[in-house]
Amino acid sequence: MKLRKYLTFLRAGLIEMVQYRLSLFIMVVGNLLYLILIYFLWKAIYASAGTDRVNGMTFSDTLIYLVLATAMFTFMEMYSVWEIGRDIQSGKMVLNLLKPMEYRSYLFWSYSGTLVAHFLVTFLPTFIIVRIVTGDTIPLGLNLLQFLGAAAMAVIINYYIDFIVGTICIFTESIWGINIMKQVIVLLLSGATIPVAFFPEGLKTVVYFLPFQSIYNTPLTILIGKEPTENVLWMMGLQLFWCLFLGVVSRLFWNRSIRRITVNGG
Amino acid sequence: MAEKVIIMKNVCKDFKVLNRHEGLKGSLKDLFSRDYKIVSAVNNVSLEIEKGEIVGYLGPNGAGKSTTIKMMTGVLEPTRGEILVDGTIPYKNRTKNAEKIGVVFGQRSQLWWALPLIESLKLLKDIYMIPDKDYEDMLTLYRSLVDIEDLLHKPVRQMSLGQRTLSDILAAFLHNPKIVYLDEPTIGLDVSMKSKIRTLIHALNQEKGTTVILTTHDMGDVDALCRRIVIIDHGKMLYDNDIEHLKKFFGSYRTLKLRLSGDMKKEKEEIAAALPVCSVGMTEDEGWITILVDEEKRKVMDVLGQIQNSYKVRDLQLEEISTEDVIRKIYEDSAAEREKEKNAASADANTSEGGGAE
Repeated sequence: MKLRKYLTFLRAGLIEMVQYRLSLFIMVVGNLLYLILIYFLWKAIYASAGTDRVNGMTFSDTLIYLVLATAMFTFMEMYSVWEIGRDIQSGKMVLNLLKPMEYRSYLFWSYSGTLVAHFLVTFLPTFIIVRIVTGDTIPLGLNLLQFLGAAAMAVIINYYIDFIVGTICIFTESIWGINIMKQVIVLLLSGATIPVAFFPEGLKTVVYFLPFQSIYNTPLTILIGKEPTENVLWMMGLQLFWCLFLGVVSRLFWNRSIRRITVNGG
Repeated sequence: MAEKVIIMKNVCKDFKVLNRHEGLKGSLKDLFSRDYKIVSAVNNVSLEIEKGEIVGYLGPNGAGKSTTIKMMTGVLEPTRGEILVDGTIPYKNRTKNAEKIGVVFGQRSQLWWALPLIESLKLLKDIYMIPDKDYEDMLTLYRSLVDIEDLLHKPVRQMSLGQRTLSDILAAFLHNPKIVYLDEPTIGLDVSMKSKIRTLIHALNQEKGTTVILTTHDMGDVDALCRRIVIIDHGKMLYDNDIEHLKKFFGSYRTLKLRLSGDMKKEKEEIAAALPVCSVGMTEDEGWITILVDEEKRKVMDVLGQIQNSYKVRDLQLEEISTEDVIRKIYEDSAAEREKEKNAASADANTSEGGGAE
């Protein structure tokens, strides 16, 4: 019955989303505008490079990757850091702590409905359109299933990172600066704004040892379906490791900050 | 003897507060400052609350009421002392404790902003894992107490403050908790809504035997709901007893208001001279002479008789001292007491400084 407790949040989140119909619509439009921007930016980059292959990726490879990355961003970004900050500053944290649930899961599941809604209204249509426009570049097979698994783990990794940053904000009592920094680091090093293939060799090695690339690079690479199966399994294994590792770390961070809240009144 | 649901023994809560400095330079200094001072928010409070009681927890703003409630609910850990809520230590078993309590903070809602009330209730049903039957029974009870049909399908953000508070109270009682903490539930509500909410709280307390801890600044709430009140100021407990005792605690004061024929100003002076044990005044519009009588010293009837012997009374009113008056007097006395202590302390400091200079 424990699961039911959490799934009920998912349901409520979906209902909540539908309450704000207009915002869903605007999100789709905003997303579209951003895609147009990406299209022209990378067209210019490829034109100036003079070759049709840059770092082993053709213009259409890059574009497919980035379009999907943008679509992924719409459901991956959970704004949990803001949420934690708001809860602290408004004193709503007290109410959340008085629910018979762990705050970390409470926050995650409260957002899960939005996540699913965004996946359905932005990612899925984008993927279908990309697939129709590009013909057979993306295979429709096992890679779809693998992608769902990888995306789910990516969501969890991303959430844990957010949560850890959020608990740090409890100590610093300011959110904006730290959150912006986190966002820039995650978006850049995860391959959400620039494909990891474009990174210089040194940076690539560094990124390989960091959890960020598991958020965007891994699920997208798997979805595009050019990697051999053993690579895919290796990448997913790495994701699993980060899920567990960050899970433990976020728990430790939370236990520290909850001490601060209960001792010093937040 | 009834079961004790809350036991607090010599509970203290201190906060460490950074001494802030003024200006830009001061703020920069604060960045690295280790200069803390200890502020005592709750000081040696001991309390025992029995099952099914409605206890009014009163005190002026900043008295330490919310801090106490936060300790009872387990979101704050006491610095010293022991708290037991229904047999468990709340801050050590916060989640377990949370299943047994309900909370309403009048200033903010715990409901889901964008959702209709019924969806919020369903969410709570799953969070607290309320069995279907209990949930249905509770809704039936709610229907019999208040008119909720219109509210159920209205998103919380579209509700008026009164409707929202009502909904919050329903949400807090939904899982049939042992204890419900109500923090200023009637704040900002109109008269009829206030009375509706009081009736609801009273009915739920009677029906379910729920213990209710109520903090409020509205003496109407206290008069309507509480048998027992606890008063706290600056973290110290000032009073803990029945509401009836409260008035006796201060002597039994009554105010006699008289309208006499003749020059009332002159008569007031004469009466004041004739009744040294009473405090004699006049209402603002000079329509009434007011005589505050301490019944322990002199009976009102006695005073009235004496006045009737010498004057012609055209009209009279007799006012009981209200709970509000008594509480105000307690707050003011407590403030005066602190002022006196402060003066005494600074006087001490002055003499010792003077001594040093010699």
